[in-house]
Amino acid sequence: MKNNLKVARVQVNLTQQQLAEKVGVTRQTISLIEKGKYNPTLKLCLEICYAVNKTLDEIFWIERESDKIAKN
Amino acid sequence: MIKLQKIRDERLKMKNLQNIRTAYILQTIGILGILAYDWITKGIEGMTKNPLWFVFILTAVISAFLSLDISVAHEDSEKSPNKGLIVSLAVLVLISFCIGYLNTLGEELNLKNGFILGGVVFICGLIPILYIYYLRKKSNDEHSDEE
Repeated sequence: MKNNLKVARVQVNLTQQQLAEKVGVTRQTISLIEKGKYNPTLKLCLEICYAVNKTLDEIFWIERESDKIAKN
Repeated sequence: MIKLQKIRDERLKMKNLQNIRTAYILQTIGILGILAYDWITKGIEGMTKNPLWFVFILTAVISAFLSLDISVAHEDSEKSPNKGLIVSLAVLVLISFCIGYLNTLGEELNLKNGFILGGVVFICGLIPILYIYYLRKKSNDEHSDEE
């Protein structure tokens, strides 16, 4: 799933490794989340949000395709 | 040297479980293969004498019990668990009585054997019935919390 984690992480000057240590997972997991290849649990999403000082919707919210089309 | 430590990463925990599942499948295939070999070479009796037979039956029973939890979660009926318990108990008593009674017939009157066999059937049936009752009761309580 697409998300804005990479941007948020760079904004607070954290490397993948540092973020991984903060939230207690491996660097590979952070990398996979950023690429949208791993679907994290809500608990991990919250931990990540606390670490980068963002809310859940700022990082993980994506609009429904049908809503996007309706807006345009 | 590989450092062994407790896995904290949720993704790796999941991966680990998937690996265990793969190993379990392979192990079961292996056990079935050995039992099939015993069956062909030594017949049914030779197969059941193998301790692997006991392991196989035990894991089959355990997995059946564990999957009851899932079957109960799938049920969406609103019927009360008490009614289910009473019906299953009645059926179980009938079945174990019939089996016990049928066993007393035969060449000689064998009352003791009938009691023992009926009792064993009753106890073996009672355990899963009580477990299902407990699971249904639990899911019912969780359901009523929602309202």
